[in-house]
Amino acid sequence: MITASQKPINEIIELVEPYKKVLILGCGTCVKTCFSGGEDEVAVLASALRLSFKKMVRSIEIEELTIERQCENEFIQEASSGIARNDAVLSLACGAGVQALAKQFLKEVVLPGLNTTFIGIQESPGIFTEECSGCGNCSLAIFGGICPVTRCAKKLLNGPCGGSQKGFCEIDPDTHCAWHLIIERLTTLGQMDNLKTYIPPKNWNTSLSGGPRKLIREDHII
Amino acid sequence: MKINNTPKLTLFHCLNSFEETASMFDGCEMKTVKMACSSMTKDVHLLRAFEAGSDAVLVLVCSDKGCRYAEGSIRARKRVDYVKTILDDIGMDGRRLKIFNTSAKDYGSIKNIIQNTILELEIIGPNPALNHFN
Repeated sequence: MITASQKPINEIIELVEPYKKVLILGCGTCVKTCFSGGEDEVAVLASALRLSFKKMVRSIEIEELTIERQCENEFIQEASSGIARNDAVLSLACGAGVQALAKQFLKEVVLPGLNTTFIGIQESPGIFTEECSGCGNCSLAIFGGICPVTRCAKKLLNGPCGGSQKGFCEIDPDTHCAWHLIIERLTTLGQMDNLKTYIPPKNWNTSLSGGPRKLIREDHII
Repeated sequence: MKINNTPKLTLFHCLNSFEETASMFDGCEMKTVKMACSSMTKDVHLLRAFEAGSDAVLVLVCSDKGCRYAEGSIRARKRVDYVKTILDDIGMDGRRLKIFNTSAKDYGSIKNIIQNTILELEIIGPNPALNHFN
């Protein structure tokens, strides 16, 4: 999932202050799972904003809505009447969702309520970890399903740096050494031979360093 | 900032941590919300109690190890702590939201909690958004 965290409430207050009617639009997929932008978070933020504006003796009308996904036009359409009724949309979606809304509603103000962080998983209840950098050239098959590009602080592709302490990274002692995990996993799988092959320096052309990327599926284009 | 009117309190409680008795609410206007377990404490409900005009909100839960559903009191406390930070951030003063471990028969302690909250409201003042609600 794409993870995100809510912007500080005072930053959000500054963003919505110029508007009298604001739709807080939640996204019911990734950011709901990481407790940043689902129905519950929309309701809490709406309540906090109403209290804050009442305290400032300012009037603001807040409408709440959560759609399944803000990054897909089919779902975005469900919000169109709500968007039309309001002066601005405060989107509790990742950056893709915010931009998808802005693309669909050219004349409406769309504001981000979240800071998008990373592609990750819920490792344990309430703890989310980054697992994928979206580098565009996946090598997980070689590394036993553990990504050194994302999870090794030094992005080493040909073995550990030697600085780990009891399986934890020397950069951050709370983070597992990716190479420790890779070697443990390949040992379990009986695939340690994978590491005999030299991995050349990574080709970053497929990553974001080449500018925004595009995925084209000709078979879906009419 | 002195409260001119009778302070309004909302009390969320686990049904095992509070039992209403006469005179318990002297000096305040109290609304109680009974929950099957304090794990049902939700951040939005706490905030909406303030939106509804409460000067203070109390959450009464069982002891951390005494929850029949294992983690209810711990979950409630974490949510209360979260909402306190929101209240502080928006200038509402997180001190007007409190959580206590109580047992239903401990009438004296619960009455003290309520009376101390009323006294503390004399210092922190009424709900700053209260006068602006319709």
